[in-house]
Amino acid sequence: MSKLLRRVAVTVLILVAYNSVILASDATNGQESIIDVMGKVSDHDYFEVIGGTKIYLPRIFLAGGEWYFFSSTNAAVASGEFIKSDAGLLRLDGTPISFDLSITSHLIYVWLGFLLTFIITWIAANRYKRGIGRETEPRGALQNTFEVLFVFVRDDIAKEFIPHSKYEKFVPYLFTLFMAIAFMNLFGLLPWAAAATANITVTATLAGITFFVTQINGTKDHWQHVFMFPGVPAWSRFILTPVEILGLFTKPFALAIRLFANMLSGKIMIVSILGLIFIFTDMFGAYIGVGSGFFWVLLTAALYFLKALVALIQAYVFTLLSAVFIGMAAEEHHHEHDETSVAHAQDVQL
Amino acid sequence: MGFLAAGLGAGIIALGAGIGIGMIGKSATESIARQPEAAGDIRGAMLLTAVFIEGVALIGAIVCILLALGIGQ
Repeated sequence: MSKLLRRVAVTVLILVAYNSVILASDATNGQESIIDVMGKVSDHDYFEVIGGTKIYLPRIFLAGGEWYFFSSTNAAVASGEFIKSDAGLLRLDGTPISFDLSITSHLIYVWLGFLLTFIITWIAANRYKRGIGRETEPRGALQNTFEVLFVFVRDDIAKEFIPHSKYEKFVPYLFTLFMAIAFMNLFGLLPWAAAATANITVTATLAGITFFVTQINGTKDHWQHVFMFPGVPAWSRFILTPVEILGLFTKPFALAIRLFANMLSGKIMIVSILGLIFIFTDMFGAYIGVGSGFFWVLLTAALYFLKALVALIQAYVFTLLSAVFIGMAAEEHHHEHDETSVAHAQDVQL
Repeated sequence: MGFLAAGLGAGIIALGAGIGIGMIGKSATESIARQPEAAGDIRGAMLLTAVFIEGVALIGAIVCILLALGIGQ
């Protein structure tokens, strides 16, 4: 037990040390705002590795109907064709970028998340092909963890919410979602890294994929419930149909916003609470500032554990709700209206 | 004015979501106490319902952020 406690304490200390290094570097870089809170969560044109080294990433974009490729933002400026401005790069004649396909730090983390998912699944799949885990017991930490997670997604998420005849088709998609989102969320715990899911475009894309999967697999019953709600007076369809159509879009919208807001708030909270050290120093002098730092650092450490928990819960929740939406659309109602009215009361609230 | 609205809104959202999730937690713990063997199912249903409330609360929170940042004025 004491060994475990010591490990936890060391981990906390390392995390705290990294955070203060980052804060200190921010304090020397920034001119107007001392701590750049949003800079910790926003997307960048560079990829930061351990120790604060920045690797600048390629820029690919469309400006004024022409495609441009540069090895970095600075290269674009050095080429003499573009100037930096508050709204990003501008062409010399003042044309802004109309379509930006640049590789950014969040994109790298999305790739890393999916790459790790792919590698782990690939290794485990190879083992199952060779018979380990099917004829014998699964071997090694990786395969055992994989099996626990996979069975969890299959039995507790897919089987429970998607009709039994169809659920198998969706297990790969749900498992990919779960693993990739969990990895992306957990990257946010590394002080130099960023959670790609704290970017609305990433979560919106994931929710968009769920939306399309849901609609493509929608049965006749699903569409009937959207456009011609059965078993209600004809006049109430004027209200119900718009609400149902709106409901189609609010579901993935809420899905995207939920993951985005949860991941964004975690990092902002940690940086803000550590920032209190500097605010207290400014207000009450160095002694109280540094003294209170002890308390803020402890609070931050507690928040880190909460964040790790939230990262996994949000991955679970995203997958769960995807399964619920797919299940609702793929369902065929043989016995009408007693249950469906309850189900629909729920999804209108969404 | 935007800050005032955002602050009030955030408070009201927390109030509403707190009441909602509190009621879910209350009935879930009561159900589990009455029927401990169904704890797994109840926990799943509890999480699902809590997540719906969270979704609405977060949409409200986003509106508050937009108000506070003055986006859309």
